[in-house]
Amino acid sequence: MSSPPPSEGPFVAVNDACTTYGTGPDAVRALAHVDLQVPRGRFVSVIGPSGCGKSTLLRLIAGLEAPDAGDVRICGRTTAEARAAKVLGFVPQVPALLPWLDVLGNVRVLEKVNRAAGRQRTQRGLASDPVALLTRLGLGDVLTRRPGQLSGGMQQRTALARAFALAPDVLLMDEPFSALDEFTRESAQLQLLDVWQELRTTVVFVTHSIAEAVLLSDTVVVMAAAPGRVAGVVDVGLDRPRHHGLLDSAAMHEHEHRVRALLETAWDPVSGTPTGTPLRTPGAAGREVA
Amino acid sequence: MRRLARVAHPRTWLPTVLAVVVVGLLWTWVARDNPYVLPTLPSVGRQFLDQPDLYLANAWTTLQEALLGLLAGGVCAVLLAVVVGESGLVRRAVTPLAVVLNVTPVVAIAPALVVAFGFGLTPKVLVTGLITFFPVLMNTVTGLRSVDRHVLQVFRTVDASRLDVLVRLRFPSALPYLFAALRVVFPLSLVGAVVAEFAAAGAQSGLGTLISVASANSQLDRVFAAIACLALMGSLMLLLVTTFERRALAWHESQHR
Repeated sequence: MSSPPPSEGPFVAVNDACTTYGTGPDAVRALAHVDLQVPRGRFVSVIGPSGCGKSTLLRLIAGLEAPDAGDVRICGRTTAEARAAKVLGFVPQVPALLPWLDVLGNVRVLEKVNRAAGRQRTQRGLASDPVALLTRLGLGDVLTRRPGQLSGGMQQRTALARAFALAPDVLLMDEPFSALDEFTRESAQLQLLDVWQELRTTVVFVTHSIAEAVLLSDTVVVMAAAPGRVAGVVDVGLDRPRHHGLLDSAAMHEHEHRVRALLETAWDPVSGTPTGTPLRTPGAAGREVA
Repeated sequence: MRRLARVAHPRTWLPTVLAVVVVGLLWTWVARDNPYVLPTLPSVGRQFLDQPDLYLANAWTTLQEALLGLLAGGVCAVLLAVVVGESGLVRRAVTPLAVVLNVTPVVAIAPALVVAFGFGLTPKVLVTGLITFFPVLMNTVTGLRSVDRHVLQVFRTVDASRLDVLVRLRFPSALPYLFAALRVVFPLSLVGAVVAEFAAAGAQSGLGTLISVASANSQLDRVFAAIACLALMGSLMLLLVTTFERRALAWHESQHR
């Protein structure tokens, strides 16, 4: 990593974060006393039903929203400092590419903003070479195409490349593959794994797919809704590098089963309503993810 | 090549040609018995052949007025749009004024401007500027605000400055809106110039002046020759804008078929 953490401890730390949208009787508690600790170099997925606040949590870490209570630290820094130092990479739900730039231009456009921070960061390996990065993601032949000429999967991989090219300390992804069809999604996941295996970026990955969470992650954080809270944590002890053959393996199914079981303690799949205590769950909240 | 083939196909050009021929025949039929309703087409053509300098000189005057006004109005509108986009305070202050200015018929303001600024170039540029200002302002404001919010989020996570967002996101996003405005205001600038010339009764040159003098003398062939000049100028302006638009917005959906 280009900048060592000023303090030891978790790389990404969310401490007792609460977020409420609206006021009065219509107020919705999106997050209630959420704790999350992500060690350096870990791939952590956050999974949960709609409305469990997983995207809100990601936006808090990205500094796009501030929590009503609690705080967020990125490697000892506040989110504002982390953004200013350009150590965050963000991949939104949609590719969010600039339609007037070609693929390479889209990947390099963030180099040109906030240059002061960029100069202080020395990039290494794949991340320093956008062309190599794009080639690795299977986009070597379409460098000069514009987003409008690409398939959805190619667009989303371009968005991945844009984030990786920043050589971020923390990469935040908000259901990046949710709009892709099954086959495209699988190959995008494998390409993400391939690049991640080399760069070992710390990742917080929001998803609503159990299989995706297990395939990609070292740790799966399961969230429950109303109010949004951490219901539990599943460590995925599968060997790395992970590969395609794993997708249908018993070990993978075993982990998927554990995630599903945890999800069902917090959410009734038949009625589609949350179960359990709506307030802080002492067992889950505050647990260390490691 | 495919486009060329499409243009060459009779189904593409035949309806246009037929429509022109029909209108020409109707025109000739009306003009034959009513010389004070419409001049005959040959007599209008003869105007150009006999006095090409007259029309070129007057057209040049009008074109200058139109383009200078367009430049002034357009540049002011884009600059103001940027300020409005960046500051809610300015937006609330400026929007009502701009709307009042827009709903006031510029034709009504023109004589006052002539009184204030005389018969020279100034009042004509002002009228043209006023008439082109509002469409450019409104479209550019809308365009500058049309940036995708997810893209904005990506830029915010790397702490992009407002200038970066403006230059790298807002301006390119506004381009399609700006071109839509230009397609309207380029021909509109000729309206502004001609109206101003009508209002400036003592003006020396310009197609508007030519038209008002010639119609006072019942020289319909001259009036229509001047109108034809204006129509041609308007068409060329539109062609120019569309050509630029096609190049600048090759990435945009509006240019795909």
